[in-house]
Amino acid sequence: MNGQTSHQQSKDGRHDDDAALTEFLASLMDYTPTIPDELVEHYLAKSGFQCPDIRLTRLVAVATQKFIADVATDALQQCKARQSAVVKDKRDKQQKDKRLILTMDDLSKALREYGVNVKHQEYFADCPSAGLDSASREE
Amino acid sequence: MSDGDGRDSLKFLGERENQQWKRKKKKLGADEFAQAIARIAVAQVCEGLGFQSFHQSALDSLADVGVRYIREIGKTACSYANLANRSQCNVFDVIQGLEDLGSIQGFSGASDVSHSLSGSGVVKDLIRYVGQAEEIPFAYLTPVFPVVKQRTLDPSFAQAGESPPDEHIPSWLPKFPEPESYATLSLRNEKDLETEVVNKTQLVEEQHRKVERPLLNFQQKLICNGSEAGVVVEQGDAAKAQRAAESNPFLAPPLQYGEKEVALPVLPPKLLDDPADYHNSCVVTDTNLLTLEPSLRPRETERSAPCEPEDRRNILLNGRPSLQFKFGNGKKSLRMVTSPRNESIEKVSLWFGDDHDGKDKTNRKAEKILWENTEYPPEVSHL
Repeated sequence: MNGQTSHQQSKDGRHDDDAALTEFLASLMDYTPTIPDELVEHYLAKSGFQCPDIRLTRLVAVATQKFIADVATDALQQCKARQSAVVKDKRDKQQKDKRLILTMDDLSKALREYGVNVKHQEYFADCPSAGLDSASREE
Repeated sequence: MSDGDGRDSLKFLGERENQQWKRKKKKLGADEFAQAIARIAVAQVCEGLGFQSFHQSALDSLADVGVRYIREIGKTACSYANLANRSQCNVFDVIQGLEDLGSIQGFSGASDVSHSLSGSGVVKDLIRYVGQAEEIPFAYLTPVFPVVKQRTLDPSFAQAGESPPDEHIPSWLPKFPEPESYATLSLRNEKDLETEVVNKTQLVEEQHRKVERPLLNFQQKLICNGSEAGVVVEQGDAAKAQRAAESNPFLAPPLQYGEKEVALPVLPPKLLDDPADYHNSCVVTDTNLLTLEPSLRPRETERSAPCEPEDRRNILLNGRPSLQFKFGNGKKSLRMVTSPRNESIEKVSLWFGDDHDGKDKTNRKAEKILWENTEYPPEVSHL
């Protein structure tokens, strides 16, 4: 008897989940994701994804938007943390550095949490001896 | 969007490199349009979160990561669909793909192996995100891309209302191009055609020596086809072809069978009596002739390349001297053989190290002079 009730409950739960999913997919048609449908369709077609249903494309678009938003939020937090650390030293800088800039440093730190390892070149030199020996350069 | 510290790196680049870099920028890849749109979309998302500016490289990286995310979802969803024996993807395939990608960060209910997909934590996160995030529509109207160009195919024989020139060509195949359209092309490829013709003339001369008829007939057919191609070239520029033929005999059209009298090789009687202990000469029977001559002829022609073509013709066509080949087991045996056979040899193959009589004597003399002063002259032969 107990098993039957729990089975019944799980069935209801699954039913709720299915309903929620269906509702969500329907609501997707109202919500326009920032990433355009054509772009998502192009890249999905490139990887072999075949589905004429536009709701699935919207689902993928929303999922990607959420992913980008998460990464950007982490990068923003990194940026703010760095600024607040700097501000502790000098109060003047807080007035200047109100601008939040997405830098490679913050992005690579944020992406590392998601398993993406991005390493950025610190500088580019035009000849092999650049930056090697400052004494010889002065001459 | 403005570049912060990133622009400083460009100071190191010289002017020349800058121009090259600009030139490189103009070369657009196949995916440039899609990547540009992705960059704009990602920039809009970041702006909505509170970022005021970006580094160009950071934006590019994030857009690239976003594109890869889309492709990864597509790949995993497709593989799950194929696993379930389907070719079209399902919402559950997509959810499973999202779960796979979200397993790095983790989502609620990930550890529950037997959970239903519709109640997955990923879906719940998405619903929550859609509920709370503000809607930022894309800034531009994007057309459907990539645009597939309408190709105008060449008309087939049936479509043009023509009948194919030969029986073996079906009528649904596209038409042959007009001869005028490729006559000019043939001039540019003249060098390739020349080498082809040269090879064919050499082949013909070789096979004229043989006695086998079937091969000859086949070759004749090849020549006919070759001369047809040659005729097409000449139609394009007859004077040039003629001039070329006059100067270079290898560019002349190949000889037809029976046009020129060719003497069969004369076998010296001595060779037929040879015990063939130390050397096997190839010109004993007709069959041997056939097997070894083709290997000989190209090499011979290659070796005597510096000679004038007329001389070669004389050597090959009119009363050729017979050739002997010595295949010895060891160098010493070869040496022993050459001395008694010196009188009967008319021409000896050079690439086994055997020299003519005169050369032998001079070499031995030179050796003698060299080793005069030494106590122990070398015992081994000069070979």
